[in-house]
Amino acid sequence: MPAHFIHETDFREFLKSLIASKPVIGPVVEPKSTGDKFIFDDVTSAEQLRLDYDVSLVPPKAVFFPPVQKLLEFGPNGVKSCINPREQVLLGVHFYDVKAFDQLDKLFNDKFPDNNYLANRRATTVIASSVQTVSKHAFWGSFGKDVKAKGHDGFLTKVQGGYVYETFSQKGEALLKHGKFGNASTDQVSAAKRENDAAMDKCQEKVTFTPAEISTKTRASFSNNEMWKELSKDCFSCGSCNIVCPTCYCFDVQDKWGLDQVSGERYRTWDACLTEDFAKVSLGGAGGHENFREAGAQRFRHRAMRKLTYLNEKLGGPACIGCGRCTSACVPNIANPVKIINRIMKG
Amino acid sequence: MSPKTKAKVAFFDFTSCEGCQIELTNLGEKAFMGLLDHIEIVEFREAMSEKAQGRIDISFIEGSFSREADRKRLEDIRSRSNVVIAFGACAATGGVTALKNHMSDYSEAVYGKDAKMPHLDSSFALPVSAAIKVDYSVLGCPMSQAEFVEIVSSLLHGKEPVIPNHPVCVECKKKSTLCRYGQGDHCLGMVARAGCGAPCPADGIPCEACRGFVDHPNQEALVKVLREKGGLSEERAFNKSRIFTANLRSDAVKGAGARKE
Amino acid sequence: MSNCGNGCSCNDSAIDNVFLPREAEILRAEQVTASEKHFTLKMKDGKGMDFQPGQIAEVGVFGYGEIPLGFASSPTRTHSFDLVVRTVGRVSTAINKLEKGQSLWVRGPLGSGFNLEEMRGHDVLIVAGGIGLCPTRSLIQYILDRRSEFGKFTLFFGARTPKDQLFTDDLVQWRKTKDVVEYHETVDKGDDSWKGNVGVITTLFAKTKISPDTRVVVCGPPVMYKFVIRELAKLGVPENHVYLDLERRMKCGIGKCGHCQINDKYVCVDGPVFTYSDIKHLEEAFA
Repeated sequence: MPAHFIHETDFREFLKSLIASKPVIGPVVEPKSTGDKFIFDDVTSAEQLRLDYDVSLVPPKAVFFPPVQKLLEFGPNGVKSCINPREQVLLGVHFYDVKAFDQLDKLFNDKFPDNNYLANRRATTVIASSVQTVSKHAFWGSFGKDVKAKGHDGFLTKVQGGYVYETFSQKGEALLKHGKFGNASTDQVSAAKRENDAAMDKCQEKVTFTPAEISTKTRASFSNNEMWKELSKDCFSCGSCNIVCPTCYCFDVQDKWGLDQVSGERYRTWDACLTEDFAKVSLGGAGGHENFREAGAQRFRHRAMRKLTYLNEKLGGPACIGCGRCTSACVPNIANPVKIINRIMKG
Repeated sequence: MSPKTKAKVAFFDFTSCEGCQIELTNLGEKAFMGLLDHIEIVEFREAMSEKAQGRIDISFIEGSFSREADRKRLEDIRSRSNVVIAFGACAATGGVTALKNHMSDYSEAVYGKDAKMPHLDSSFALPVSAAIKVDYSVLGCPMSQAEFVEIVSSLLHGKEPVIPNHPVCVECKKKSTLCRYGQGDHCLGMVARAGCGAPCPADGIPCEACRGFVDHPNQEALVKVLREKGGLSEERAFNKSRIFTANLRSDAVKGAGARKE
Repeated sequence: MSNCGNGCSCNDSAIDNVFLPREAEILRAEQVTASEKHFTLKMKDGKGMDFQPGQIAEVGVFGYGEIPLGFASSPTRTHSFDLVVRTVGRVSTAINKLEKGQSLWVRGPLGSGFNLEEMRGHDVLIVAGGIGLCPTRSLIQYILDRRSEFGKFTLFFGARTPKDQLFTDDLVQWRKTKDVVEYHETVDKGDDSWKGNVGVITTLFAKTKISPDTRVVVCGPPVMYKFVIRELAKLGVPENHVYLDLERRMKCGIGKCGHCQINDKYVCVDGPVFTYSDIKHLEEAFA
């Protein structure tokens, strides 16, 4: 893969030119609403971009799979598809979130390709960036670390004096024209490697078991009802752990009329398997229903199974990428996968 | 009800501040005028002086049922209406008026020497459904505009409205709203029924669960979290959720639930 | 389909949208029980509906949504297809208000159906409870249309009460033609006119002889499966010859939305038909 270098002093000009050419989305802070926490949003000036961010509140999957996405518009004359991707650059994605993209790419492509996601994905140039600040609850340094990120078009690593920019596709190379990039020296390339390797040791939380060991033991723990009850005792079934998860992709589909009450839209919205009604079906009769995961403990277990074992074979590794967002989002402090893994392994 | 004939709609109020009817007048012009193509308002004292005569398609009732003397008027509304909708938190659950159900010393403090006047006499504040059959509820304090539109729109199409049974946390997380607990604050969002779009936490204010609880709130964990993470005293943590859900808590007064048909 | 009439901004690009349904005209609509309606449909685009018995379609009405339904007619009857809808929720209520000449919007066929190759040349037993007769009717018709390709054909049908029986015209036929299909029926609760068997569906196993080499199809309410499976085990029917047609909340129908999951399986794409041997290890399969 070709490696390039851009000086710190030229980086701002590069961003300015890039932003002028097409929409750029990257990690930013909204002082009014998100305080000192980061979100991925449209970057309108070079100064706004914060490549020193630790982790975003909502994962960048929202760029391809927004929290609410219109699927169809219907009206008196029929129905119309609403796939309308925007050519854009998503800049500053950490490698663990790229790993999540790799999973979603596979899952949304599986059997029935879902272009509501895939078209957005294809229209976006994804530029990853090195982790400059490690978030408090991250454990990507240990868990699933053998699975490498693949789905990015370029990778920016901050080194002494500037950035090493590695390109992995034509989309990644197309960005070169926006800045004063030169060839990276061998020293610069190895400095970038050292930087990225070093980040792996900086996570405060660590998983000491292999994903394979965890997968086997988790699956075998399915019927350990006491354990799941104990782990989920304080669970609110609030779904926060799902909503902030970069690899969760469940959704609900609903129809809604417009104010004219004649036309309307069919849309999907992020759903959470922890919430009570997720697996509920109507059966008829006197308003009867069956809830296939009625107890909170069953739903808590389902998430653990999904992240640690069910999808491993299909994805070539665990469905959890170790970002720690669920740990931060969980009010009763029970969603931390490291804690859950340790409890499962204890038996 | 077919979208082609206009549905006759009326509003009534009981024990309440009438804020939900005021909130209706705040519904944007576009939404309001859009709906007026499909409904005809026959009684609405916040905006008109006419009184409804005869059958009503949809009756919205604001306020709780807190005086036995109101039962007859409620039954009359029910008998004249095809659909009865509890309009706002007080009508749906007793809301903030149900705070009195766990107090005995407020009359003198509030009304002084008039405390014993007969028109102030009232019993427990109960949801309207404790007196008559209620078909749907527009939740919230004040009532949620979006839910009002959703319910009216659904009724026009003969569709069961979609009312979420997941908590406010889902809506905060989707919007990247900072969690109050991460800001040294407390919040009831984990047990509060969503559907409002979580505007309060987005403005830096804790959720007070004005739309009531989800179907099965984890009330024990709520008290624990309010105490340990929210920094509330034992007593305050225990009482905290009463502000809007007094009649939904496991220690609600007898009869606070819906009337059995 | 080029204009939704909304003057909206969405573009009608050539990118395939798996959520885009096709329009089907209702050729016939008949209320068959108090809560069930039987529809015969034809695709308006003339492309037909090329399905296998046991597969499903997502069937919807705009403004209300979609629900998964098994085909209730055999693909051997090519000019149209049947669906039976029980009024249970907001979508089924909307569908059941529709009449002849109106439209439904359909995505499908979806999921995997019954393995017909495995069944051919063998005895077949179908155990259908309640509305479970609808998706299995597709297979029943298929077998009846190609009767010589199968061995002994037995059908068990259980309904809550005589009034809840579906496809009563079919039932009259099946009762008469014992050499074509050996039909046994039961109700949970009889009425004055009912002279037949009363009891749960497993009581029908005593009425006939099922050979261990039979291919068995089971479809009914969630609670039914484990009791029928127990009877089949007693008879020595191998687990990989037992086909279970399962119901879950199949919302997207394309293996994405997650609602229909049983452990790691998506009922909508991995099923809804599974062999018992494929799912017996799945703790969430049997409620």
